[in-house]
Order: sequence, then structure tokens, then C-alpha cells
Amino acid sequence: MSSDIKKEKVIKKGAEATLYYGHWFGKEVIFKYRIPKNYRIKELDKAIRTERTLNEARALIKVKTYGINVPQVFEIDFVNSTIVMKYIKGNRLKDILSNLDDNMKKNYFNDIGKAIATLHRNGHVHGDITTSNIIISPENQIFLIDFGLHEYSDTIEDKSVDLHLLKRVLISSHGKNYKYCFNAFLEGYKLEYEKIKNKEYEKIIKNIDIVESRGRYIRPEARL
Amino acid sequence: MKKLCLGIESTAHTFSIGIIDFEGNVYSLINDIYVPEEGGLHPGLVRDQHLNNFMKIVNRALTEAKISIKDINLIAFSQSPGLGPVLKIGAWVARMLSQLVNIEIVGVNHCIAHIEIGRLKCNIKDPLSLYVSGGNTIVSAFESGRYQIFGETLDLAIGNMIDSFARDAGLNHPGGPKIEKLALNSNNYIQLPYVVKGMDLSFSGLYTAAKYLLQSEDYGIKYNLNDVAYSLQETAFGMLTEVTERALAHTEKKEVLLTGGVAANKRLQSMIKYISKEHDARFEVVPLKFAGDNGAMIGWTGILRYQAEGRHEINETFIKPKERMDHFTIPWRT
Repeated sequence: MSSDIKKEKVIKKGAEATLYYGHWFGKEVIFKYRIPKNYRIKELDKAIRTERTLNEARALIKVKTYGINVPQVFEIDFVNSTIVMKYIKGNRLKDILSNLDDNMKKNYFNDIGKAIATLHRNGHVHGDITTSNIIISPENQIFLIDFGLHEYSDTIEDKSVDLHLLKRVLISSHGKNYKYCFNAFLEGYKLEYEKIKNKEYEKIIKNIDIVESRGRYIRPEARL
Repeated sequence: MKKLCLGIESTAHTFSIGIIDFEGNVYSLINDIYVPEEGGLHPGLVRDQHLNNFMKIVNRALTEAKISIKDINLIAFSQSPGLGPVLKIGAWVARMLSQLVNIEIVGVNHCIAHIEIGRLKCNIKDPLSLYVSGGNTIVSAFESGRYQIFGETLDLAIGNMIDSFARDAGLNHPGGPKIEKLALNSNNYIQLPYVVKGMDLSFSGLYTAAKYLLQSEDYGIKYNLNDVAYSLQETAFGMLTEVTERALAHTEKKEVLLTGGVAANKRLQSMIKYISKEHDARFEVVPLKFAGDNGAMIGWTGILRYQAEGRHEINETFIKPKERMDHFTIPWRT
């Protein structure tokens, strides 16, 4: 590694990857390093890490062309299963949500709805839309991060599962107020979706209820 | 004399009677296993064998425990999930004995029983469990009053997948142990589809790909059956271990339980053991006798349910072939 590339500190340790903050030719970057798993044989481990690294990097690059704010990819090092991407300054939505006033919440969730609708109508699902994977920049822009579970999919089912996950996160972390946020989200989602694929969003939103009615997705408290 | 429960397992190929007391001591455990001459389990044929043999099995279990049916205080049977025609036999036998001799009856979920017998026999309290068998592939843990399912197969069960592949390779039932043995002779990995979707697994593509390897022109030249068996196991078990590790990181449980028929596989054991160690969790495999389908686990879970919620009425004992384990609250653990 040349002196132009420097990993400086670990900012997050996940089950699958470790995130480092550092510098890459003078730019502030994140190194997303997929950790080797010694329980599986080397050939398989290598193949999985390479495939997932490439898949995530490709998704980030592709999605950016739709005008969605995602970290820019600077380097894909599949030998070390690492993606070097732009460091996004700002706060995770999760950390600031409770301090926002209603108007701000509405604006942000509207924008998030629009971004997700753009993803969906282009045949992508994010796979892990949570408030920890959304960053609000100092300029009040929405950034989507972590495309590790991204998939190419154009089915109603996959898209509604995507929305359902966000709904669950909002319920569990923001309680009764989730409706306000989620409705603002849906508003933006509909607005953006309507621009191209007419009315498909109606089916997607309706299907959330069906996803929820399946046993394993029902919250335990609701079933008692 | 201690209070006794007679457990009846009848969900698939095994018809089993276990006699167990209310403290968890097993007095007898008799299994009758249907082995197909060719092909897989035909529910009608399995049902016929169980129907022909059940009385012999009940009598042998009673004789071995040196008791009469009149000494039994509770009858437990596998009520869900499983093959409909086969579940019915267990339920019929349970209702018949219950009404003939006037013994209280209780229906049990088969998947929960696999975990409960593991907790009893391995002496652990609150594990994350990986339940792998011919019919099920489930990662679960106790949370908010239930055995919640964190990950499961979206199509084939792991045992079913391995057995089906073994059958295609010309090995007879049960194929799992034979595949395990063959895999030991190879370290030539052929890449196969590795499908993990979030916390869930899919084995159908892996099965098809492995089957095609057997039909390929290169079979017998560039690679042999040992290599395919090895690659199949490594891929499937890698998937299982990845999902289990994620669930372990999420739930932060301090114990890991490996149960079900496929738990006998040494390679799978070593992989799950490895991740347990990495997360500072105690690793246990259910003893082989109690890992596969057996009547003792049904009996023990029946006892737990009976002590917490009492018996079932006869009109509550209909079978539920598709019932999920997270459908139930678990009063004996709250």
C-alpha cells in the first residue's frame, strides 16, 4: 500500500465487513473490507467475498447514474475484497431523528421516498433500508449507504419487502410517531414512482399488508 | 413411582415411542424407520408401515420400560408439522390410547420438541439453535415469549437436498452419512450456487447444479463423486454457518445448539463449533439418539406443555401439518 492510501481508524465492525476511515490520494474515504471467514474453505470464502464486493460496487455505480445520492466508488480491490468509497459527511438519520421537528421529518422522508422509488422503478431493491443506512449531509441531502444486500429485482414482492423493513424499523425505534414519518415517505414514493411506472406503487404498497400477515413477520406483541 | 409420559413421534419416516418421566429420565425409546426401496418417502407407503407396526412399537416400549399402559399418566403426540397422512397415525394412536385407558392427552409441535430435548439433554438454558433435518432447516432462538425464527430455508430442507442428491448419485437411503464419508476423500472444490438471502437460505439451485455435475461429460474425468459430495457439503454448510453466525451476532446468545438428523454430520459440527467459539458461546450437539426424530422429545415437550397449560381436549387434537414453531407462545419459559 502506497503512502497515498492510508487506513486510519476502524469506524464500524459488522458481522460481514469492517469499515475503516482513511485517505485515498488526498480524499477522505471509507474502506469497506469484507473479512475472511475461516469456517468455510478458502476457495469458497474467496469466491463469496469477491462476488459480494463486486456486486455492491456495481450497484453503487449503477444507482448513481439514476441521480440517487450514494457514495462514489473510487477503487474496487477484489484481491483484498475492499471497496474504497467517498466518505459522506453528515449524520445517520437514526441519530438525529428524535431531534427533528415535524416539518423537517416530513421533508426528509419525502426525499427518502423519492430516492427509494427511483431505485425500485429501475429494478433495484436496497435490501436493508434502515435509519442507520441513511445519512443526512450538512447540505440537508439524503445519502443511501450500504448496498451489501442489494439485489436486481423487478417484482412487487421484493419491493414491498423493502418498504416493510423500513416500516418495521420506524415502528421499533420511533414508536407511535412512525405513522407520520412513514406516510411522508409513501407520499414521496408515490410521487416519484408515478413519473414512470403508472400505478405499480399501489400494488407494492398494498402488498406490504400481505407480507405482514405472514406469521414470521408479525410482531410478537401484536399476536398475543 | 414417578409420573410417566408416553411420547408418540409420527411426522415422517420415523414412528417412535418414548417413555420418559416428569424429571426427564428416559425409560425406553423404540424407533421404527421407514426405508424406501427406491425413491423418497411416499406418504401413503410410510403411513401404511406405521399403521401396520404401531402396536408392536408401543408394546416393545412398555416392555422395555417394565411398565403397563396403566402406569402412564400422560400421552403426548406430534401434532404438527409433518406429512399429513403420517401425522394422522400418531394422532389416532394417541387418541385411541387416551380414550381406551383414560389418560390425559397433549399435542406437541415437533420443531419445538427438537429444541426442548436439546435443552434437557445438553443441560443448557437459552440457546440459539440450528435445527437441520430431512424436513426442516431453521435458525431460531427464544425471544419475546416465543421460539422466533431468524432464518430458514425458502425451498428444500438441507437433509432432503442431500438425500435427493445421494439418490441421483445412485446411493440408497439414507444418503447423508454416505455423502459425508465420500466428501472426506476430496479437497477439490467445484464452485456451486451459494444462496443466502438476508437470513434465509435456498438449496434448490445448489441441488440442481450438483445434479448436473453428475450428468456432465467431465464427470469421471475432471472430477468424481467424491469431489461433488465435498463441494455440495462445503457450500451448503457454509450457507448454514453464515446464517447461524449472523443470528448469533444479532441475538447475542451465549449458547448454540445443533439439533436434528443432520446434526450428526461432523463437518457441520466443526463449522458451527468454530463460530460459537468466535462469539464466546458454548457449543452443544444433541446426542445422536435424541437428535433425529424420536418419541422421547415429544414426551418431554408434552410434559412441559402439560405442566404449564394442562392437557388438550380431544377436539383440540386434530393435526396441523403446516403449523410453524413461532405460532406458539412458550409459557414454560416465561
